[in-house]
Amino acid sequence: MVTVEAPETLASTPAKPNKGQRPSRGYRVFQGVNALVLTGVVVLTLYPLINILARSFSAEDYIRSGQVNLLPRGFNLTTYRRVMSDPMFWTNYRNTIYYTVVATAISMVLTVCYAYVLSKKHLRGRSVLVGLAVFTMFFNGGLIPNYVLVSGLGLRNTIWAIVLPNAISVFNLLVMKSFFESMPVELEEAAAVDGLNTYQTLLRIVLPLSKAMLATMVLFYAVSFWNSWFSAFLYLDRSEMFPVTVYLRNLIAGATGGSDVGTASETALQIAANIQSVTIVLTVLPIMLVYPFIQRYFVSGVMLGAVKG
Amino acid sequence: MYQLSRRQVLLAAGAAASTLALAGCGDDDEGDADLSGKKAGAMDKYAAGDQFKATEALKFSIMLLSNAAYPYKADWLFWSELTKRTNVTLEPTVVPGSDYNQKRSVMVSAGDAPMIIPKTYHPDEEALIAGGAILPVSDYLDLMPNFKDKVAKWKLDSDLDTYRQQDGKFYLLPGVHETVYVDYSIAIRTDILTKLNLQIPKTWDDLHAVLKAMKAAYPDQYPMSDRWSTPPQPGANNLLALLSNAFGTGAGWDYQNAWWDKDAGKFVLTGAMDQYKQMLTFLNTLVSEKLLDPESFTQQDDQARQKFANGKSFVISCNTQTLVNELRKDIAKIPGATVVKIPRPIGPAGPNKPGTARLENGIMISKKALESKNFVAMMQFIDWLWYSDAGEEFAKWGIEGTTFTKDASGKRTLAPDVNVVGLNPSGTKHLQVDFGFFNGVFAYGGSTELRESFYSDEEKEFQKEMNTRQSLPVPPPRPFSADEREQATLWETGIKDYVNQQTLKFILNQRPLGDWDKYVAELKGKNSDQFIELANKAYDRYKKAHP
Repeated sequence: MVTVEAPETLASTPAKPNKGQRPSRGYRVFQGVNALVLTGVVVLTLYPLINILARSFSAEDYIRSGQVNLLPRGFNLTTYRRVMSDPMFWTNYRNTIYYTVVATAISMVLTVCYAYVLSKKHLRGRSVLVGLAVFTMFFNGGLIPNYVLVSGLGLRNTIWAIVLPNAISVFNLLVMKSFFESMPVELEEAAAVDGLNTYQTLLRIVLPLSKAMLATMVLFYAVSFWNSWFSAFLYLDRSEMFPVTVYLRNLIAGATGGSDVGTASETALQIAANIQSVTIVLTVLPIMLVYPFIQRYFVSGVMLGAVKG
Repeated sequence: MYQLSRRQVLLAAGAAASTLALAGCGDDDEGDADLSGKKAGAMDKYAAGDQFKATEALKFSIMLLSNAAYPYKADWLFWSELTKRTNVTLEPTVVPGSDYNQKRSVMVSAGDAPMIIPKTYHPDEEALIAGGAILPVSDYLDLMPNFKDKVAKWKLDSDLDTYRQQDGKFYLLPGVHETVYVDYSIAIRTDILTKLNLQIPKTWDDLHAVLKAMKAAYPDQYPMSDRWSTPPQPGANNLLALLSNAFGTGAGWDYQNAWWDKDAGKFVLTGAMDQYKQMLTFLNTLVSEKLLDPESFTQQDDQARQKFANGKSFVISCNTQTLVNELRKDIAKIPGATVVKIPRPIGPAGPNKPGTARLENGIMISKKALESKNFVAMMQFIDWLWYSDAGEEFAKWGIEGTTFTKDASGKRTLAPDVNVVGLNPSGTKHLQVDFGFFNGVFAYGGSTELRESFYSDEEKEFQKEMNTRQSLPVPPPRPFSADEREQATLWETGIKDYVNQQTLKFILNQRPLGDWDKYVAELKGKNSDQFIELANKAYDRYKKAHP
């Protein structure tokens, strides 16, 4: 009897059989509100995506007269064929994949090395190294000095201008550093006792235990490199080297920008709305598909913490 | 990631200015005299009308705006034929059109710009001049016989004067037009006019009456809903520009803080002019009588187009391109609907048209080009491609016999398989996309005949009407010194923002027009008097120094 009563005193609701499974009324209200709010968020997030998708399959006159919402009207695939038949689109697409892979690899190697070193409390000059990194979060040389530097190093018109200047994101670095710091020291001590040196400890013990965090970091880096266009736009002078984001930006901003106002409009052609949508869909699709694959690492990462707690 | 603000550009340009100004000391006596070592590849006797051909194979770097509608291709016929004709190969730095200005600022400020920098709109070059990396091109016009010939023939000197800086030189080689080119106007649904037994309006009062009649027939909708409301202007920027010219002032796209009052011989503040108030009163009436959609000033172009496409409005701003490519296509599904571009309605200021439009965007030249031994050849090349009749025809129409044909009277026709701006819908190849001609970087300006050679009969009719009108006076040059410009920019931004903001309030009835005097007083609080004084001072100074 006593064992049954004890939980009763914990729960504020009147005693009932199998009350442990029954959520309280307050909790149910919370769940209802929660579901409502989150549904709203989902709709707000999904609507533009689905709208763009619907536009990409629609005929242009329906888009222009504002009749395309969630379902395509005047369904056709010709726009997809047209965009996909542009060789420059595929050249730029290949560039994006190439830049993203190389840049993410470089960033991960550099960030892991830097963060692991910083996580060691006994490292001399640690605060200086952290300070140096944090300094760049708040101050930078500015656009033109950066340009002169990259240009002076001979990086312009090479992939290195894209992958090197922003290789370490300080935010990611700090997150990674605190993750490494939170790892039990005993693990590494045990590794040392077993005869592993520092590098072996990092590669065989620490990194395999950090898969969830590494997956997150890869995702952060990959998404930011996939989406980035500015350094490519700035440092690359040949269109066959551009990533697809520059191609896309030119298609959208170049067509609607005010810079052509008052000029000979005879040369200012309009880019059709459906071409823009198709290019958007093709550009974001791969990076969106990455999320579900990496998601399981997020979940297992959460579980990992839970077991420890 | 980074967004380059105007302030950053100014700062960077300023920093570059101070270093380059030091480096540039002692360069002041440059002129035609010391060009002796720079004539490699140049033609000895090059005169207006001659075909330019370099005496040796040359390469020049150029910044190339890649237009999203016809992106750069290395295998365009334009490039190979250009080399064949001139012995010059252009080496382009390809810049996406979406952010052309930003890259240009960075490259010029960093001292890395190509020799030829086209597609620059006045006064964008002014921010870059201070850096000292731009050639004062007016010193070298003797190398450009075709340019000089056209300026003299078409009496463009006073137009060019507006591009001069305080040192009396100009740094931008603008595209030159023989006649003022007016494109933007108003489109109106003619089937509705016929149905309601109305005429095409000739004046703004006519248009007012037409809108009223439309409102009477369709009481639930606004007969006019306008577009082109991109900030920073107050919105409906084309409508404001058209109307302000009709009233003898400037607003919307045509707004400048300082307006040249020809009769008084001085600059006045545009936003405080009586004409400006009259214009606001007129617009206020249109809005109050529910003839003009108040959303005209805030909505996206697409929304305005949708209203027009769905028959919810009958009058909208347009230009040739949007008329043919957008409006006509948009209303195709309304049975019997027709739309035309009407000549700009006439207002109290009489039949006029804008005064500054005879100059187009143009070319800046990097100062480092002067160090090249091919400098003279480069100037001759630029002169031929952008300013000779043959070069202009080549850039626009392409190659006779390949992309176009010419009959005995000189009338050009596209080759049967070539299409551009919808002139030859059966053509499978595109003059811009597949051949690289008619490219906004190379083809602009020129004679009226050349410009109109691409027009439909309807557009020629419009131009004929507009050509009978008087141009508004071109304001005289009033170049600021570097310090003054900095001060003026600070004042100007505040004044302009306030004028735009209050303009909208007056039009939309959020502020009574009775407040006008109070508003003018508020402008004075924004240093408007000081700014106008500064402008007039600069004008007087320039007039004295360059009589």
